[in-house]
Amino acid sequence: MDELWDRFRALGSFGRFSGAVLLRLFTTRWPLSEGAHQLWLLATRCALPVIAVTFPAGMVLALQGLQIFTLFGAQRLLSSLVGVAVFRELAPVLASVLVAAQGGSAFAAEIGAMRIREELDATEVMGIDPLKVHIVPRVAAALIATPILDLVGAVSGVMGGWLVAVVFRGETNGVFWANLWALSKPMDLGGGILKTTVFGGIIGLVATWKGYFASGGAAGVGRAVNDTVVIAVTSFVIANYFLTSALYGRG
Amino acid sequence: MTDNVDIIPHQDAIIRLENVSKRFGDLIVLDDVSMSFERGRTTAIIGPSGTGKSVLLKHLVGLLQPDSGHVWIGDVDMAVANEKLKYATRRRFGMLFQDGALFDSMSAGDNVAFPLLHHTTMSAEERRAKAEEKLALVELKGLYDRPTPALSGGQRKRVGLARAIIMEPEIVLFDEPNSGLDPLTSDTIDELIGKMKAALGITFIVITHDIVSAEAIADRVGMLWKGKLVAYQETSKFVHSTDPVVKRFLERNLGHRW
Amino acid sequence: MNTLLTLGQFGIFAGRVVRSSFTHKLPVARTIEEAYRIGVRSLPILLVISFFVGTNLALQGYVAFRPMGAQQMLGMFVGLAGVRELAPIMVAAMVSAKAGTEMASQIAVMRIREQIDALEVMAVDPYVYLVTPRFLGIVLVLPALTIISIATLIGSAWLVTVYQLGEPGGPFLALVWNTTSGTDLMVAGIKGGLFGSFICAVSCFCGFTSPPGPAGVGRATNAAVVISAVCCAILNYFVSEVAYG
Repeated sequence: MDELWDRFRALGSFGRFSGAVLLRLFTTRWPLSEGAHQLWLLATRCALPVIAVTFPAGMVLALQGLQIFTLFGAQRLLSSLVGVAVFRELAPVLASVLVAAQGGSAFAAEIGAMRIREELDATEVMGIDPLKVHIVPRVAAALIATPILDLVGAVSGVMGGWLVAVVFRGETNGVFWANLWALSKPMDLGGGILKTTVFGGIIGLVATWKGYFASGGAAGVGRAVNDTVVIAVTSFVIANYFLTSALYGRG
Repeated sequence: MTDNVDIIPHQDAIIRLENVSKRFGDLIVLDDVSMSFERGRTTAIIGPSGTGKSVLLKHLVGLLQPDSGHVWIGDVDMAVANEKLKYATRRRFGMLFQDGALFDSMSAGDNVAFPLLHHTTMSAEERRAKAEEKLALVELKGLYDRPTPALSGGQRKRVGLARAIIMEPEIVLFDEPNSGLDPLTSDTIDELIGKMKAALGITFIVITHDIVSAEAIADRVGMLWKGKLVAYQETSKFVHSTDPVVKRFLERNLGHRW
Repeated sequence: MNTLLTLGQFGIFAGRVVRSSFTHKLPVARTIEEAYRIGVRSLPILLVISFFVGTNLALQGYVAFRPMGAQQMLGMFVGLAGVRELAPIMVAAMVSAKAGTEMASQIAVMRIREQIDALEVMAVDPYVYLVTPRFLGIVLVLPALTIISIATLIGSAWLVTVYQLGEPGGPFLALVWNTTSGTDLMVAGIKGGLFGSFICAVSCFCGFTSPPGPAGVGRATNAAVVISAVCCAILNYFVSEVAYG
């Protein structure tokens, strides 16, 4: 019972924190250059992992897809499946998982270490709003970087599929590219971008919230990082279902 | 320089370093250090921070390997010993780490009893009795069940000390036993070391930057300076050293008393 | 150059872990403890994620196959994609996020507080004491988690198929059943165990080599989850290629 109560309190704390951050994001003049710096760090830190994960995922997709389509003699439609799956689900979800794992955990670690080393307190004592200078730029960076990484992941996923289908399994190159857009529309990529913007916001807020309230020395920072990844991944997998229902399902 | 380093006869040495050098990247931490530690006596190694004192200590127990040279513990060379031999040799050591290095998930007493759990076949009651005994020795009677995070800085060190001597080692190493403690607590730790020396006949090796404490507890003092052993003498001789580096260090740290 | 060096260190580390695991008495009690901890603590979150991945799989499969007029392919799609690929990789991602980061941060904290040095000085092999039980625990538990995840995923996909999409549930389940063979389940289990051993080795390695200070612990934890995820994704392709290619 106490635990449940703690959960509710945590939810309340997260809500207040998010409100305060979003309010500052849209209504104050927060340091843009810091935001750009964070964006650059986040994008460069995550780009390689995103490619390294979406590429093999695309390869597996083609591998398994070919099996189904061979049964129906419809191999030429393989790239359509790759397109739909990558644009709608794989790239957005994998890009978000990696932004959470790489960027989110880095945010939690940085902000957590700042809390432990009393840097946040020092900022406040100097009369500077720590949310504005430390938190908002990071959340903004996550909001923008995640959709960009989604696009990177989409390209890399399709390339992975292409490698297996065309190079390893000898499907025709022209057919692969011609059918890529047979089932998917540009709208699918747009949907992915919309989703990942939401996911990016969730990750940024959860990570900075966990770091901001870290306590208990180095171990506390480790816990904050751990919690961040778990909470961020869970909440956007759930959000993903509702967003997918809204975008594509007839509900 | 060599006239400041008194030679210890071979048969009195329990540990011998021969031409030990260690570098981390471009930084030379130990530069051709040769020295011996006498059996049954207390040796202090002093020197300003960053001169390789802790690195030297970690070489003794094989936590670090020298780039060249030998570290003889009896007739075992820790520089080249395989893991098995190293582990066997480490049983002769106890070590007190700078912040105690206690396991926060266990109580104070379980920390002390931890080596017994792994190296003996004692029953739980026997382990507890033995740990209580060592806790009493470090003047922490009755704190067996205290959770580690609830201990004060001085208590943590004393629990660490009790753990270091639980296996009745021949050699006990101290990494800055006084760092982070107020002068009063610091004196208590020094007294404790003196008391145990009298009672247990152990070889103590103490790393410290605190010359007052070194003078209080050590029979012999060595000084490391920029990776080299610049002086190594009986304490009474050391504090009156004429070596310019030693003199400057002593004056700076004992200025108010000399 | 640095990467190569780290890779070499990791090789030595993994070698020591394997050697220590086989040359010492098995820490049975602590292995069971770790298995229980990894299994039970990761379970709720895994159920939630599996559930929602299942719902999404059905939803997306339906949307994708509807234009081809092949709604009956949905069951097949869920069976193949869910059982063969998604469940194992999802379990790996979750366990690496939860148990892996925990291992990394715990061990990193022990490293920076000199507790690992203390273990060595007390002549307790830190690999045997810290890594072996976690390693064996995770390898034992992951196949089971994978099977649980598969069941959850199929269940939630069925729910969406019947209640949200209004398709008949019976034929759906029959198709799932027909496309999934015992081999698929076995391969999924093997994948789980394999991913688990990588997650454990990578996470513990990151902890052991943690840079100093609170920021160091954060960085070690961070590296653990990213490197595990990338390793598992790449490994997954090779296992699938061997098993199904």
